[in-house]
Amino acid sequence: MNETSRRRFLQATAAGGALAGVGGFSAMSSWLASFLSADPEAIGPFRASTSAEIDEASHAINRLTFGPRPGDHQRVSAMGAKAFIAEQLDPDSIADHESEKRSRHFEALAAWPAGELLEYSPAELLDQLTRDKLQRALNSKRQLFEVMVDFWSDHFNIDPSKGDSRWLKPLDDRHVIRRHAMGNFSELLKASALSPSMLWYLDGRVNRRDSEHEKPNENYGRELLELHTLGVDGGYTQQDVMEAARCLTGWTVHERKKARFAVGKVEFQAQRHDDGEKIVLGHKIPAGLGKGDLDRLIQIVAHHPATAMHLATKLCRRFIADHPPLPVVSAVAGTFLETGGDIRKVLITLFSHEAFWATRGGLVKRPLHFVVSALRACGAETNAGPELQDYLLRMGHAPFQYPTPDGYPQEPEPWMATLLWRWRFASEFAANGIKGTAIEMKTLVSAAGGKRELAAHLLGRTPTEAEVMAALDSGAPLALMLASPAFQLC
Amino acid sequence: MSATAILSEERDLDRSLVVVFLRGGADGLHLLVPHGDDAYHRARPTIGLKKSELTDLDGFFGLNPQLAALHPLWQDGLLGAVHAAGSEDETRSHFEAQDFMEHGGLAAGGWLGRFLRVRPDAGNSPLTAVAIGAQLPECLRGAPSCAAVQSLEDFGLGRHAPPGFAKQLAALYSSTPGLLGPAGASALAALERIDQLNKQAASPDHGAVYGKDAFNQGLQQIARLLKAKVGLQAAAISLDGWDSHLTQQTIIEGPMSRLASGLEAFAKDLGPERLAHTNVVVMTEFGRRIAENSAGGTDHGHGSAMFLLGGGIKGGKVHGEWPGLDESQLTGPGDLAVRHNYRDVLAPILTHLSPATPLQEVFPGHDLRPMGGL
Repeated sequence: MNETSRRRFLQATAAGGALAGVGGFSAMSSWLASFLSADPEAIGPFRASTSAEIDEASHAINRLTFGPRPGDHQRVSAMGAKAFIAEQLDPDSIADHESEKRSRHFEALAAWPAGELLEYSPAELLDQLTRDKLQRALNSKRQLFEVMVDFWSDHFNIDPSKGDSRWLKPLDDRHVIRRHAMGNFSELLKASALSPSMLWYLDGRVNRRDSEHEKPNENYGRELLELHTLGVDGGYTQQDVMEAARCLTGWTVHERKKARFAVGKVEFQAQRHDDGEKIVLGHKIPAGLGKGDLDRLIQIVAHHPATAMHLATKLCRRFIADHPPLPVVSAVAGTFLETGGDIRKVLITLFSHEAFWATRGGLVKRPLHFVVSALRACGAETNAGPELQDYLLRMGHAPFQYPTPDGYPQEPEPWMATLLWRWRFASEFAANGIKGTAIEMKTLVSAAGGKRELAAHLLGRTPTEAEVMAALDSGAPLALMLASPAFQLC
Repeated sequence: MSATAILSEERDLDRSLVVVFLRGGADGLHLLVPHGDDAYHRARPTIGLKKSELTDLDGFFGLNPQLAALHPLWQDGLLGAVHAAGSEDETRSHFEAQDFMEHGGLAAGGWLGRFLRVRPDAGNSPLTAVAIGAQLPECLRGAPSCAAVQSLEDFGLGRHAPPGFAKQLAALYSSTPGLLGPAGASALAALERIDQLNKQAASPDHGAVYGKDAFNQGLQQIARLLKAKVGLQAAAISLDGWDSHLTQQTIIEGPMSRLASGLEAFAKDLGPERLAHTNVVVMTEFGRRIAENSAGGTDHGHGSAMFLLGGGIKGGKVHGEWPGLDESQLTGPGDLAVRHNYRDVLAPILTHLSPATPLQEVFPGHDLRPMGGL
C-alpha cells in the first residue's frame, strides 16, 4: 500500500461511516457505542414548574447547569435554589459514580505517561476528548463544575490540531483545566503556562535565548496578558509583553519526533533562559532567578486588578447577562483580589449578588449548551458519536476545535447563524433520527404528566398559549418546543 | 460588529471561494508542461511530453492533452496558473504535507476556517461553508458553521420535520424580540431557498455536462448552492489519485480528465455572471521528482502548479517566476523549487474576496508576500 492509500484506509477506518470526520470508531468506541445506546433508563414521574415566569429554581438550574433533567426542578424547589447553589459550589461533596464510571471507558484520556498517548491516533484522541466532555456535561451531577470546565477550556483555549498538541491536549484537560476548575486562579494559570499542549499551541517551546541577538518568541507572553489575565484593555504595554516573554525563555517540551518516550515532558533549559533583570507591569524581577522568573511573573499577572476585572466581567457575562451591571462585576472582582483568586469564593459572590437573580432567561445558549440541554431534558441516552458531534460541527461549536486562542465566543451574535441547524437537530432528535442517540417520548410525556407539563419542564416555565398552539399545530410538538425561541435561552 | 449589521440583510456575500485539493501529490510538470525547458525532456525520456502533443499556452508551457477541455477558459482569460508553487514543508510525506498546507503552516485549525472566522464581513448564513465528501478537510477546521455533505439533501430541516413545522417556527420567531427574531427570519429565508432548490430539477444550466464521478457530481452540488445564493462563502472538494509512482501516464489520466471535465462543466453551469463572483483554486500538497523513475512514474517532489479559475484574476497566463529545471536550481533529491509559497498565491485571492481581512491571522507565522499581478 502506498502512503496515500494507506492514509485513506486509515481515514476510512477512523471515520467509521461518520458524516463529517470528527469521530473515530476504534474497536473500543464501537463497543462503547453499544453500551451507551442501551435502553434509556426509565424516567420516573416528576413535576415541572407551574409558574408562568422563570422561578428561582429554574433560574439556578438554567445558569449553573447544562439544563434541567427530569425531576431537577422538583428537587431544587424542594431544597431551595440557594441550597442547590451551595451544593454545586462544593463538587467534591456530590457523589458522581455513574458519570465517573462512564468516563472511565475513555481510556486514552487516562494514558500515562504521556508517551502512551502516542499509541492513539489524533482522531481517536479528539473523539475521546469530545465524547468525554459530552458525557460529563450530560450525566455528571457536578454540573457547575462541568460548566466551569467549559468556561476555562475557552479561556485557556487550545486547538490541539497543531504539532504535538494532537497528542497532548488530554493532559491539559486533566492536569490543568479539570484539576483547577474550581480551585485557585494563579495555580490554574501556572499549570496552563507549563502545560505541554499550551507550550506547543502558543509556541512557548521555542521561546528561548540562545545568543545575545535572539529575540524571545512573544506569542504566549502576549496571550498571557491579553487573554488569560489582564485583558486587551488591561493597561499593559508592548514592553510588558516582551518582558513577560523574556521571563519564560528556556521552558520547552520534548518533541515527539526527537524523543518519543519522553514526549510531552516539560523542561527548563537554564542555558536558554534570559537571566537578566526584567520589569513587568512596573514590578522588578531581579537578574539571576532562573526558573524562578515564572513564579514571579505568575504572581504579578494573576493578582493584578485588571485581571480581576477581566475575569469578573467574563464570569458575569457567562452567568448573568451579556452586559452585566458594573456593581456586580466590581463585587466579583473585589472577591477575586481579596481571596487571591479563589474561584469558588468568587462564584459565591457572583451567585449571591442581587444582579444574578434580577435578569432571567435572557442569555442565549451556545450550541453545545443547546444540544446538551435538549438531551438532558429528554433523558436521552447517547454514545456522543460522530452523528451527534456532526451537529456541533455544523453549528460551529465542536469541542476542542476552535482555532484561535480566544476560545469560542460567549456573546450571542456569532451564534445567530446556527438556528437552522438547531431546528434540524430538534426535529431529528425528537424523532429518534440521530444514530446513537435515543429518547423514549411516551415515557417522557407520561412522566411529566402531559404535554403542557413537558413543555413547562423544557422551558423552565409554563408555556404561553402561542407556544402551545404552535407546538400542537406543528405536527411535532417536542421538536417544536426544542426549536422554539424560549428553548434557545437560559 | 453590531447585531443588526449581520442580521438585517439576506446576505449573498457576493463572492465565493472553491478549493479543489488534488490529493496524492499532483505532478505539476505533467499538468502544465514546461516544454520549452530542455532539462525537462532530458529528465523524462519516456513519459515526457513533446510540444506537439500539448496545447501550447505561451511557447514555453503547454497544457497536458487530458486538460485540453480547459483551454477555452484559458483563452477567455478565466483560467490561469502559478507554477513552481507549494509549501516549505520538506517532509515529502502526504500526510504531513497536506496537513501543513491545509492548516496554513504550523498552526491550529485550517487556513480557510480561520479566513471565514476573521473576515470582518462574515455573514450569517447557516451554509457558510461546505465540504463535499464524507469528511471535513483540515483546511476548513474551525470554520463557523461548516458541513460536510454528500448532496443538497443533507441541508434543510431533515426528513422528520412535518410539513407545518417551518410555519409554526415562523409564528414563534416573528414575535420574538432581540437577536433571535431576525435570526429566525433569516434562517427561515435560507430554508425556503433550500426547499426551492431541492424541488428544482438538478440538471445543470447552459448545457453543461458533468461526469458521473464523485468529483464532477460534487462540483455540480457546489454549483447548485452558488446559483441558489444560499450565502455559501467557501466550498472544499478533493480529487484523489495523483500518487503516480509508476506508469504515471496511465495512472493520472483518469484524475486529469475528471479535473478537466469537472471544471469545464462547473464554469459553464455557473455562467459568466456567477463565475465572475467565484474563485476556484486548485492545489496539491507537493509536486513530483523531475526525473522519471524506472517504472515510468515519478516520486514525491516539491514544487507543483496551482490553477486559478474565475472572476477577478488575470487568466490566460502562467504567473510568476520559473526557476528552471537546471540542476543548480533544483531542491532536495532533484525537485522543482518552490518559488511561490501557496499562501502568497492565496493572499490576493482572499483579499479580493474580503478586502479588509487581516491575512496575518489567516496565515500566522508566515512572512506574507502577496503575489502581484494575479
